[in-house]
Amino acid sequence: MATTDIGPKNPAVKAGEAAFDYVDKRTGVKTGAKWFMFRNIPAETSWFQTLGFTAMALFGMQAITGIILAMYYKPDPNSAFQSVEVITNEVTWGWLVRGMHKWGASAMIVVVFLHLGRVFFFGSYKYPRELTWVTGAILLIMTMFMGLTGYLLVWDQKAYWATVVAVNITASAPIIGPYIADILRAGPEFGPETLSRFYSIHMLVIPGGMATFIGLHLFLISKLGIAEPPYSKRRMAVERAEEEARRAAENERLPYGRREVPAVAPATPEPQKVEGAS
Amino acid sequence: MNRGQQEYYKRDYAQAKLEGKPFFPYAVYKDLLIATLAIGLVIGMAIWHRVEIGEPVNPASTDFVPRPEWYFFFLFELLKIFKGQNVFMPVIMATFIVPNILMVLLIATPFIDRGPERRIQKRPIALFTGIAVIAFLAYMTHLGASSNEGVGSEGLPLTGLDEKGQAGADLFLANGCTACHNVAGVGAPGPGPNLTNLGSQGQTPQYWGEFIQDPPGGVMPSFTTFTPQQYDEIGTFLAGLGTTYK
Repeated sequence: MATTDIGPKNPAVKAGEAAFDYVDKRTGVKTGAKWFMFRNIPAETSWFQTLGFTAMALFGMQAITGIILAMYYKPDPNSAFQSVEVITNEVTWGWLVRGMHKWGASAMIVVVFLHLGRVFFFGSYKYPRELTWVTGAILLIMTMFMGLTGYLLVWDQKAYWATVVAVNITASAPIIGPYIADILRAGPEFGPETLSRFYSIHMLVIPGGMATFIGLHLFLISKLGIAEPPYSKRRMAVERAEEEARRAAENERLPYGRREVPAVAPATPEPQKVEGAS
Repeated sequence: MNRGQQEYYKRDYAQAKLEGKPFFPYAVYKDLLIATLAIGLVIGMAIWHRVEIGEPVNPASTDFVPRPEWYFFFLFELLKIFKGQNVFMPVIMATFIVPNILMVLLIATPFIDRGPERRIQKRPIALFTGIAVIAFLAYMTHLGASSNEGVGSEGLPLTGLDEKGQAGADLFLANGCTACHNVAGVGAPGPGPNLTNLGSQGQTPQYWGEFIQDPPGGVMPSFTTFTPQQYDEIGTFLAGLGTTYK
């Protein structure tokens, strides 16, 4: 409320403010949100630096459309295909939700890879943001696994055989490969349990991991700040000034051009040995 | 980056923030704009390209060519390069070694490249690596997208097939064995046992040739119409599964 407000406050507003204060005093959520929203970021940021948020937005979209699909989908070999048919042909907007989920998967892969490229070419993974990169790389791998496990759930020919091949590829890994393949298939053969296992991995295991790693990724980003593009105007000006200062120092040290002084400042002189010391 | 360079970066970044702008609204509006565009594009694609429904699963049919989603084409294509032609090209390169090397390199990037320079035109190795990786992924994905072959299209995804083994594999496919048996991912998971590693039982080709003429247990049908040469071929094929042919 502005200070020009006079007279008694509306009791509803008063109660609302009191409730808000109550929560803020115990959680600091207002302070935290204020810090998060109004903290400074470098003046110049690239449009390419919006890709990370876009990937997260697409993850949110996949979560919402996935929840809606899960309301109608039946993870049972006898009814899975039919339930997908029902979603596509009968449920209101079902075709749209399924289409968004399917295209969203491809879009997420594209955006995640573009985000990776941006971070790589900007050198943003360098000190102090190494661990942000690691969490992001794990998120990328988990995104790929989401695509792999979701593929089977449609339970059509293409999905089935591609997943059979994928599981056989897993089984070819040395030592633990066959065990992992057995875990994925829920046994030595591809069977009814395989579908519900992939359903659980696709819906619970990987999304849980991704949510955790998105949290870590965001924590590191807000703690370390968004990287400044290496070609920003401010950075270029700093580099020009540094170059100029270096040249000026060089010129000063070169009376009559007699000898070259190394560009880098010379190391501190070695300490002299004290005579007589053992 | 040594300690001094790290301190320099920290100071420089603090200065950038000092001269900077608040996150809200200057970054938020950009983020929201691009994210909205991306989601709009997804909805547009969902409307424009309606989702299709394929054929329902039929584990008995083996003529179906399995193809992964487009973003796995680059791994899929590796399977066609490393087919186990010789010791230097084992299949495990495509299924295990190369993908894992790629994953480890991806995760370890910031610990490999620790130089202080951030401008890409002054990082020749990073520039070259980045372009090479993009070119590799784009080329492999293009190859995968433009080829119609699946892993099973040349028959069974086995390597090391000699003339006799190939003839046996052809007989195996032509006589509907895959309706009950699975070999290296091709064929039904049941009711017959998986034959991928049959050769590890150490039986002779003659044994398997006689086995299929009168299979014990009475579940499997008998195959009594082959010529002696064909019995030898399919016997050789079965005896080598998982050992010679894998």
